[in-house]
Amino acid sequence: MKMLVVFEKHPRIRHIGHLDLMRAMQRALRRSGLPVKFSQGFNPHLLITFAAPLSVGMPGKHEIMEIPLAAEVSESEFLTKLNAALPPELNCLSARGVEDKHPASMASLYAAEYEIKIAPEGAALCDAVASFMAQETIMALRKTKSGEKLIDIKPLIYKLEVTSPATLRCTLALSEAATCKCDLLLDALCAHAGIEDRPHTLSIRLQMYGKDFIPLELL
Amino acid sequence: MKEFSESKLEKILDTALKPARYTGGEMNAVIKPFDSADVTFAFCFPDAYEVGMSHLGIKILYHIINKQPWALCERVYTPWPDMADALRRENLPLFSIESRTPVRRFDILGFTLQYEMCYTNILEVLDLSDIPLRSCDRTEEDPIIMAGGPCAYNPEPLAPFIDVFQIGDGEEMMLEAIECVRKCKAEKASRLETLRALAKIEGIYVPAFYEATYNEDGTLKAFTPIDNAASPIVRKRIVRDLDKADYPDSFIVPYTEAIQDRSVLEIMRGCTKGCRFCQAGMLYRPVRERSLETLLKQADNLVNSTGYEEISLSSLSSGDYSHLSELCCALTERYADKKVSLSLPSMRLDSVVKQSLEEMQKVRKAGLTLAPEAGTQRLRDVINKGVTEEDLVRAVTDAFQSGWSTVKLYFMIGLPTETDADLEGIGHVAKQVMNCYFTVPKSQRARGLRVTASASTFVPKAFTPFQWQGQDPLDTIREKQHKLKDILYAVKGVNFNWHDPELSMLEACFARGDRRLADVLLAAWKNGCRMDGWSEFTNFEGWTKAFEDCGVDPAFYANRERGENELLPWDFIDAGVTRAFLWREWQRAQKAEVTPDCRKGCQGCGLQRFEGVCRK
Ligand code: SF4
Repeated sequence: MKMLVVFEKHPRIRHIGHLDLMRAMQRALRRSGLPVKFSQGFNPHLLITFAAPLSVGMPGKHEIMEIPLAAEVSESEFLTKLNAALPPELNCLSARGVEDKHPASMASLYAAEYEIKIAPEGAALCDAVASFMAQETIMALRKTKSGEKLIDIKPLIYKLEVTSPATLRCTLALSEAATCKCDLLLDALCAHAGIEDRPHTLSIRLQMYGKDFIPLELL
Repeated sequence: MKEFSESKLEKILDTALKPARYTGGEMNAVIKPFDSADVTFAFCFPDAYEVGMSHLGIKILYHIINKQPWALCERVYTPWPDMADALRRENLPLFSIESRTPVRRFDILGFTLQYEMCYTNILEVLDLSDIPLRSCDRTEEDPIIMAGGPCAYNPEPLAPFIDVFQIGDGEEMMLEAIECVRKCKAEKASRLETLRALAKIEGIYVPAFYEATYNEDGTLKAFTPIDNAASPIVRKRIVRDLDKADYPDSFIVPYTEAIQDRSVLEIMRGCTKGCRFCQAGMLYRPVRERSLETLLKQADNLVNSTGYEEISLSSLSSGDYSHLSELCCALTERYADKKVSLSLPSMRLDSVVKQSLEEMQKVRKAGLTLAPEAGTQRLRDVINKGVTEEDLVRAVTDAFQSGWSTVKLYFMIGLPTETDADLEGIGHVAKQVMNCYFTVPKSQRARGLRVTASASTFVPKAFTPFQWQGQDPLDTIREKQHKLKDILYAVKGVNFNWHDPELSMLEACFARGDRRLADVLLAAWKNGCRMDGWSEFTNFEGWTKAFEDCGVDPAFYANRERGENELLPWDFIDAGVTRAFLWREWQRAQKAEVTPDCRKGCQGCGLQRFEGVCRK
């Protein structure tokens, strides 16, 4: 069996990179004494997959990982033991046991919801949201390894709203086929609002969704 | 006064290099309410987080302090220069990792001194914390600045900056020190009264209570206590029974990879080989072993609490541990299921036993590290490195037969009495190692032979038989490096590494410096020197200018040979080994006379004077 685990990456440790987070989880599993599965080979390691890596600097409220197990364990026992082996900054919220052949969450991923807190000096950004979203197309410059590319991100923004004076909430495409990152959205929004120096922001990933915006862990 | 601001910090973290160095939240970090502790201790390793997190001594003391319900210990490291500059720009004070409390609010700020080239980082940390750099300028509001570790055995270059030095093993002394501060705090004692109370603890040295005077030639004339609380001789502390000494049952597990990111078992402390260049070998005497039983228990604790994939054994000479094979077997067997591997670092080549090599190989094949230190038998006799060429040949042949193919060889240049023949000898040793590989049949040996020879510059250290010897001047070192490069170039297939001799020269100054070097240190830091141990921040001009501006000649400290009767700045410390023993060893060295390992018979080094610590 494997466990679909929902966990939180606390803002305090938001700068931990993906590989470091993976190693931290592997070590936590070792500490937990749970019957986890090791890879074969000379350097055996624990097999964990994450639905989607978090960008460095971003906390996550509702992150998802899959952990294959070598023996049956109840969901509640799994949760208790793993949480006992984790620091408070990494906290598991739920665990769901599924069959090994259950489709990988990574493949079902469709979108993610974020909250973006903007530093007080950048509050003007919020005023530009309505006209920004009223545009037919939203062209943004995406930097890739091979260079820069101008793309239309409008179809990748499923929702963008102002929730409090300096806070945005948005749902953006996040799938194997198409992705729009918060940074790209913010760059485009700044350009639209005519703000040259991007204000300091703190983005948090709140939730991940599959098709039809069903929470990913329920799929 | 600078004020801490969470939002300003979060902002600068977003642009910092490796922000995880400053954010904590690691497994097993101890979180206690700051304001309810009687004594608060900020423990600083004066270097980058990933270096400091690798250090065993801090882990032990962090555990011991936090074990007391009334005390709290949190960590501090030297911010990388980009972060230090950002803190200054934003006017933020340096803060502790665990609770983000400004360092200045702690009762005590303690530094561990592992190498001289971190001294500018101490000033950097004090400055970033808004603490006056000099003891004499500190007020009742400022923390008490403590320091310990191997470099505390010659504390003098730091004397004006540190309030209290701890000399020797810290486990018991640290507890006595924080208990003393707790008591003084409860009694509302003044800073001066607290320092006096601390000075009465064995092993503690309060530099402000002593005065140094100098002869006309610049040498030390007298070093005398000027306060009744200070004793003329400060005797190092020794933990007698390591089985009874506290050892952490968990290590903090960093998120970002530390240099040493594994469970560590300290199997023994001290060394009896008597290598004459080795300061640790003299300072950590006598040898004390941990029992197999204690070690297995500690290993269980660490494996279960850290989830580390690897255990390593730590000591100056692991090959000499009485139960090494048993320990290796037991550990390998015990954790096979958990896929925890075992690695033995720095093996002394004369004690590499084939059996334990094979035992280890089952789990992990790290590179083999050997330290012949010198290229000829004559010079190895001078430094009392009890290793022969046959030992070396046997060790590497065994290793190659057991599947090793990477060998690192460590040498020193500039050792006392060294000649060109000794440099040639290094080439000869490297060649021998290569030959050993090719004599092992192809079917038996692993592919991809890699031999690396590293040559560091010899630095004479306090409390070694070479404490009287001058270091080779820079030009001589450079010349020798070039010769050696040519010699090793001729041995095809050997990689050669060497270090900037400038850094070794600075190290030599501070390793045997006196109080007058403190001004140079301060000037160098003001010239922008910091993180001196990192090649990307090398700033030798800053140092040269500092020496010039202070009118101090580095050669006086680094290159000058000291006489038999010269009073040395560290003579007031009783480090266990006596000056008479060291002098005797220095004389024997110059005649290339070896002194056997004292396991085979006491050499009267001085430790026998300490009641019941040495088997003698
Ligand atoms: S007192 Fe004797 S046995 Fe003990 S460390 Fe010194 S030389 Fe060795």
